[in-house]
Amino acid sequence: MTEVDITLTVNGATRTGSPEARKTLADFLRDDLSLTGTHLGCEHGVCGACTVIVDGRAVRSCLMLAVQAAGSEVTTIEGLGPDGEMGPLQQAMWDSHSFQCGFCTPGMVVQAAAFLSDHPDADEQQIREALSGNICRCTGYQSIIDGVLLAAERSREGSARETA
Amino acid sequence: MTAIAAERYTGASIKRSEDPRILTGAGRYVDDIKLPGMLHAAFVRSPMAHARVLSVDASAARDLPGVVAVYTGAELEAITVPGPDALMALMGWQGPTPEFTLLATDKVRFAGDPVAVVIAESRYLAEDGCELVAVEYEDLPPVVNAAFALDPASPPVFENLGDNIARTHSRNEFGDVAATFAGADRVFDTHIDVHRHQNVPMEGRGCVASYDADSGAMTVYAATQSVHVSKIAVAMRLGMEHDKVRALAGDIGGSFGLKIGASREELAVAAASRQLGRPVKWVEDRGENLTTSGQAREESFDVRAAVSNDGDLLGLDVQMVIDTGAYPGMGAMVPDIVQAMFPGPYKMAALGFESTGAITNKACYVAYRGPWASETFVRERVIDLIAKDLGIDPLEIRLRNAAPRTDPPAVMVTGRPLVGVTTQESLQRIAQLVDFPAFRRRQTEARERGVYLGIGVATFIEAAPGPREPGGPSGPMGLENMRLRLEEDGIVVLFTGQMPHGQSHQTTLAQIAADEFGVPFEQVRVVVGDSDVVPFGLTGGSRSATMTGGVALHGARQLKAKVIDVASHLMEASAQDLEITDGQVFVRGDPASGIGVGEVARRAASGEFGADVDANLEIVAQFDGGEGGWSGGTHCAIVEVDTETGIVKVERYVVAEDCGALINPAVVEGQIRGGVAQGIGAVLLERSAYDEDGNCQSATFMDYLLPTACDVPRIEIEHLETVPLDADVNFRGVGEGGMIVAPPTIVNAIEDALSPFGVRIREQHLPPARILELIAEADPAQ
Repeated sequence: MTEVDITLTVNGATRTGSPEARKTLADFLRDDLSLTGTHLGCEHGVCGACTVIVDGRAVRSCLMLAVQAAGSEVTTIEGLGPDGEMGPLQQAMWDSHSFQCGFCTPGMVVQAAAFLSDHPDADEQQIREALSGNICRCTGYQSIIDGVLLAAERSREGSARETA
Repeated sequence: MTAIAAERYTGASIKRSEDPRILTGAGRYVDDIKLPGMLHAAFVRSPMAHARVLSVDASAARDLPGVVAVYTGAELEAITVPGPDALMALMGWQGPTPEFTLLATDKVRFAGDPVAVVIAESRYLAEDGCELVAVEYEDLPPVVNAAFALDPASPPVFENLGDNIARTHSRNEFGDVAATFAGADRVFDTHIDVHRHQNVPMEGRGCVASYDADSGAMTVYAATQSVHVSKIAVAMRLGMEHDKVRALAGDIGGSFGLKIGASREELAVAAASRQLGRPVKWVEDRGENLTTSGQAREESFDVRAAVSNDGDLLGLDVQMVIDTGAYPGMGAMVPDIVQAMFPGPYKMAALGFESTGAITNKACYVAYRGPWASETFVRERVIDLIAKDLGIDPLEIRLRNAAPRTDPPAVMVTGRPLVGVTTQESLQRIAQLVDFPAFRRRQTEARERGVYLGIGVATFIEAAPGPREPGGPSGPMGLENMRLRLEEDGIVVLFTGQMPHGQSHQTTLAQIAADEFGVPFEQVRVVVGDSDVVPFGLTGGSRSATMTGGVALHGARQLKAKVIDVASHLMEASAQDLEITDGQVFVRGDPASGIGVGEVARRAASGEFGADVDANLEIVAQFDGGEGGWSGGTHCAIVEVDTETGIVKVERYVVAEDCGALINPAVVEGQIRGGVAQGIGAVLLERSAYDEDGNCQSATFMDYLLPTACDVPRIEIEHLETVPLDADVNFRGVGEGGMIVAPPTIVNAIEDALSPFGVRIREQHLPPARILELIAEADPAQ
């Protein structure tokens, strides 16, 4: 199998590797970079567990080849908060008892983060639609939606305080 | 982490201690395990539902660079020990017992049956190897449904049985069935089907097996509901002494009954690791999960109901046929629980129950969240059909028939006392929470506009754990053990055989123990997932709230007594005068006297005490379930059915639930909502479908549809905590209830919406196409 040398930025750090041309970005992140926070739930692009941010857009890392990410900036669940700690969205989800088994969690959180950064004023229905491509089998979604709403609300309050 | 301030942790929605790791990507699931020299397994699977295996040629695969080994069925048999299905053996199954091998040898029995396993340096290479294994098959007629399976002319799926009977036909009668039916004003006759659907945890099955040739020891990293069942299954099938097998588990991405012990694939992977002396990983892909991991529920029921003209449900006579799929799983055992639970919370005086199990060429029947749930579906459906025919309101007919709380309690006709059951209360609470007269007015107005709204209620009880019965040797659910230890840094450690996979045990058990022992929540650690250190246990059957919550409470109490005893010697005070608060032992009324529990542990370990003091601050506690009790509740749904498209929208969903005392309300509500979401999926979306040749038609998430954030409404939950039965432990299980009662709740609402068309529903799966068919087939005169 042909291996291809690639360089990309992952969670702010420059990383290099030589994945096989056929290797998915998800497998490259998990196997080659040991970033196992990105989970594989279906490997056919439906469940969203493998969602990562590539150049500002949420993508399914099971449907993208590692070589396609050469030169890109990738953010995974491990890079969402400062130094692997929880960021404000994760904190709000913790406060809201958002998750149970945790398997869909990385993709759901990354998807929500990408959506909120573009739509800080989203309402419940918009959030539901934005997350409808991420499947959770445990929660019935309500606690997840509540977590995202809480994060959005806190972020607006924070901006309001800064402005004032 | 900042300390949590709470008067009592138990009963408060304490934030989960699991979350900091899972929210940051630091959870450790089985696929995250990477060991030096680790190989990867992939399975060659049958494309046929039923066929003889004429030959397996793996030579080309073995020649592929990167492929380390290939094992065919026969080769795997040579390195393992034959035996029955581990779960059936553990559960003491006495009926027909099919003979089979871990990988198919002489024949394949469903599309997806494993025929060979390829072990390679990467998963990619292992899958490449699978492509090169040539298998020659000879077609056999597929046995694709129970009706054909039970026909003596069908070819036996397992030759040693001679037929396709997984469970021999049996009939039992409770109460006087003949007299009850003879005395009834009316007898209703109907047939109800429940379709095949399945668990679908977001993480599939998987394991890493690692054999160490020097020590002869096997370590299995498993995704399992019980590390001990995994360990025992591996030891049995590999012919190893039990102490040489250790099963470890970390985070588990859901299960819902699927991951009970070691599957055929996991056992094959363990055998390969021993043979090769290297770790081997197998994680199933979604196609394998949907087609081979197991499926549930395909059951059909012929029901006769004896009723009075006033709407009294006097008795039921039920014939159940269950499609167990090919290999042994839970299917043959489910009808016994269905029978016991069939009367539900109702006063009926008689039940006749017949059952038969059929073996078919489909994936095996596995436990799925409330495996016996069809009793609730069928009963709650039949009650609505009766109510409709008699012109009685669905709430009214349930209030009329549900046993009220009396002393002594009413007894189910199948034998168990309905002690503490609050069906009447939950029905009445629903009537308060949902304004039925206002809904009926809105429904009428909407119909005039061509908008079809419906309301449905259904009620259930669950033996979680069930009532204590006189003379029962070991309580309602057997015994639960826990080891507890006070460490020298003051941490109270609980070792439990529970294997949480979303249930939040590391939070909830710590809440209970912290309160009982008298330490901050952060000072309790819950250890799971290591068969070398945790007692036997299994997470399932909604048992952990009562059984493990109870053993945590009693164990913490016993350990505390020992700590106080040691402290009494240190502090030269009488044990009766000592108490533990906030991690400090105090002489009551003397705040200056406190010494930390860690200090007590250090002194106890120092050897300074003589033989008259028991300074070993570790105990094994046991709990028998105490007085037990029932979980239960009533659910209510309001739906809108689009009669042009067949699409059903759940507008409102209300739950009045009684699981006794709540340990952590947010965790309880998460369990209920998750179960309801699965029930909504079961009715509106999910089906494990097979074509007439036995090909699984639902092998991807484009074909097996799961509910999304747009399909599940907000679920309103009201908790009833009506009847404490036990002096200390009144937590009851809540994991399965939502999934048990949501399907009849939704179907009842849909039928109500479609009542202007005369639609009568006798099945559970109602995707849009089926809704349109029901409308087209219906007789509006009904």
